[in-house]
Amino acid sequence: MTPIIQLKNLHKNYGDKQVLKGINLDIYPGQVIGYIGPNGAGKSTTVKILCGLISDYEGDVLVEGFDLKTDPLSAKRKIGYVPELAELYDVLTPAEFLGFMAELYELPKEMAEDRIHKMIAAFGLEANLNQRMDTFSKGMRQKVLIISGLLHNPDIIILDEPLSGLDANSVIIFKDLISKLAKDGKTIFYCSHMMDVVEKVSDRIVLINEGAVIADGSFEELQTAQGNQSLEKIFARMTAKDSLSDAADQMMRAFEI
Amino acid sequence: MNLVNRFFLYIVLLPSGIYKNMGINVLQLKAILNAKLILDDRRPNTMHQASQKKQKKPISFATLGTMLLTGFMGCFFLVSFFVGNNITTQFTIYFSFFIFVLASTLIADFTSVLIDIRDNVIILPKPVTDKTFVLARLLHILIHITKMVLPLALPAMIYLGLRKGVLQLIPFAFLTMLVTLFTIFLINALYIFILKVTTPEKFKVIISYFQIFFAIIFYASYQLVPRLINKAALEHYDINSNNWVWLAPPYWFAGSMEFLTSLQFTPTLVTCFMISLVVPVLSIWIVIKYFAPSFNQKLSMISGSEMSNQPVTEIQKKPKPTTSTYLSNLSHWFTHAGAERMSFLHTWKMTSRSRDFKMKVYPSLGYILVYLFILFFGSNKFRLSDIQNQSGSGKGIFIGLIYFSSFILIVSVSQMLYSEKYKAAWIYHITPIDKPGKIISGAIKSIIAKFYLPLVTITAITALWLVGPSIIPNLLLGFFNQLLITCTTGYISVNAFPFAQVQNQAKSNFIRGIFSLVIPGLIAGLHYLVYGIMPVVIILSILSAIACWFMIDAIKNKAWGQIKAVYQD
Repeated sequence: MTPIIQLKNLHKNYGDKQVLKGINLDIYPGQVIGYIGPNGAGKSTTVKILCGLISDYEGDVLVEGFDLKTDPLSAKRKIGYVPELAELYDVLTPAEFLGFMAELYELPKEMAEDRIHKMIAAFGLEANLNQRMDTFSKGMRQKVLIISGLLHNPDIIILDEPLSGLDANSVIIFKDLISKLAKDGKTIFYCSHMMDVVEKVSDRIVLINEGAVIADGSFEELQTAQGNQSLEKIFARMTAKDSLSDAADQMMRAFEI
Repeated sequence: MNLVNRFFLYIVLLPSGIYKNMGINVLQLKAILNAKLILDDRRPNTMHQASQKKQKKPISFATLGTMLLTGFMGCFFLVSFFVGNNITTQFTIYFSFFIFVLASTLIADFTSVLIDIRDNVIILPKPVTDKTFVLARLLHILIHITKMVLPLALPAMIYLGLRKGVLQLIPFAFLTMLVTLFTIFLINALYIFILKVTTPEKFKVIISYFQIFFAIIFYASYQLVPRLINKAALEHYDINSNNWVWLAPPYWFAGSMEFLTSLQFTPTLVTCFMISLVVPVLSIWIVIKYFAPSFNQKLSMISGSEMSNQPVTEIQKKPKPTTSTYLSNLSHWFTHAGAERMSFLHTWKMTSRSRDFKMKVYPSLGYILVYLFILFFGSNKFRLSDIQNQSGSGKGIFIGLIYFSSFILIVSVSQMLYSEKYKAAWIYHITPIDKPGKIISGAIKSIIAKFYLPLVTITAITALWLVGPSIIPNLLLGFFNQLLITCTTGYISVNAFPFAQVQNQAKSNFIRGIFSLVIPGLIAGLHYLVYGIMPVVIILSILSAIACWFMIDAIKNKAWGQIKAVYQD
């Protein structure tokens, strides 16, 4: 099977600071990749490169065989992106915003309208379809963003902390949605700090630290290699420099005179 | 979307066939433009942002409002047709106004309207080519600029049409177009230049300083130009007599206007015409060829700069003090330990660092400087000896100087209430503060220490140097009154925590604005009356000082019930 996403020796520098130090990854269709790492590890940089937000990187990125540098458009058509921050034009209504997105993906108008209606309804936002989003809660905005990432039925879905602001019920819907999308053959690149969610939804976990992959495999494989622990524990063991319980102890000791 | 936008969208999309041949996706282009124009229509425009009320009803027709206002501005430009005795002179002045106003508006609009950094996250991951995106941006800029240029030029067009015949309109419209192209180039070049010499993080700060600078220049020219025009010499002023005028772009366009209307083939006019044809076209070509491709990159730098300003993780043995010695000394002199001192330091730092605050207050500092300049050098009656002898207008100027600077304090004190990050004021609500007045008095003292002390020092030194010790009683009365005015304004108007409000109370601001002009004016008038009577001046100084003391105490003792202490979410 040929990989759907290939990262080959991916490097990225910000000035003198090397953020990605040669990432090599082959991702296969239908995989749910849990992409995890501590703050500053290079997670969002990888995501931004994959989505085409950053183009001055070194190395190769192939999406369904299309090189992101030479044929970014073909690659971008295959990808749906749900950004981390609720960045959207909030004076637009969801209908306007999503319609705009659909046109950028060149979806036929009727199809787009139909999809927008169905997806908005699925998230229970029918009543808000024609309301400006500046009044929306964080969760409502996140739902609109999720829809905007799925609208064009992409083969690859990149999710950057997609659950932020969602209430418990929406989280259940969304987790269910991820597994159904994966069953449908979609490749999902799931970037998050919530270890328990990553542990449950992903069938392959990629752990990066300081710009390099330090672990790659299914949760079971990680457990065999690192001891039968939760992902949270494995994560801490592999990325924390000092013992974390020491930190808590030090905090407690600060009360002492 | 309103009719105006619909019309413009239709017009710019007319050459769709050409776009297609250039390899541009017309449907995407239309989608982006459509979204952008809707966004424009719902955005409070720069000119009446300040007077905009709390969004009771959503803004829908911002475009039309802006166009009306711009048309009004265009009427002012007509002044230039009453200066000088030839077309070149008149149009040099006209086009100078034009370029200046257009550039200063665009410089603000480019950051807020035309370069929306959300574009990066929203549009860049979509399958849109750079070409399409850049063209969408250019066309959006074109529409935006047309919506400004049309109303701006309309008054002049009507004037020209009525005075000199309709035929004059053709060269005028043509040249206005070229001038506009040239202005766009200027702004673009400026942006690229700023991005080259500084980091993207500082970009917005620098742009906002430019805006402040433009606002002050604008005010200065508004004040100075009418004064200059009164001088009879100007009516016979001929700009052609200066050689340096070749360096001023408006001159080229004015020369072309003369050329096109008179059709005299003099070397000067023909050269002007050639330059004004070649320069804009060339500059726009440069923008498209060299600036546009790197523009997206630069823009993603502005938004994607979170990596480059990572906190310095240098572990120091001794924690570095966050407050300079000078500041911590000041805070010890003026405030009691605890909430008041914390608020003093907090306000000091916020006023130095908040772009929002600086944008509101610094222009008013500039206005006062301009006004003082006019006061001193604008009137022919002014003589240094008058001030030294405290006779004639000398008294008035001295009092004007003192009481006008109180305006700075009033502006700062009332502006201190507002912040974009007003939500951060939760800190006052979760901490055990017995009297919120302490926070307010700390903040007001901070403003006084920061803006009043330097002013007082400069005024005092100047006055003592010019007049000598005999001015001391009046100086003291002035200073205490100024302080009293500030504290009273603080007592009356600061009824909430500093930096804890959304700026929207247009009405109360207006009334406060009137009061803040009338009251210092009244007090200044009274001071003027008693100026020469020393015992009265001394007694009033003492009374004023005591009143200040009580006022500050009253502020400090404001209880929770007396202030609007509702957390604004």
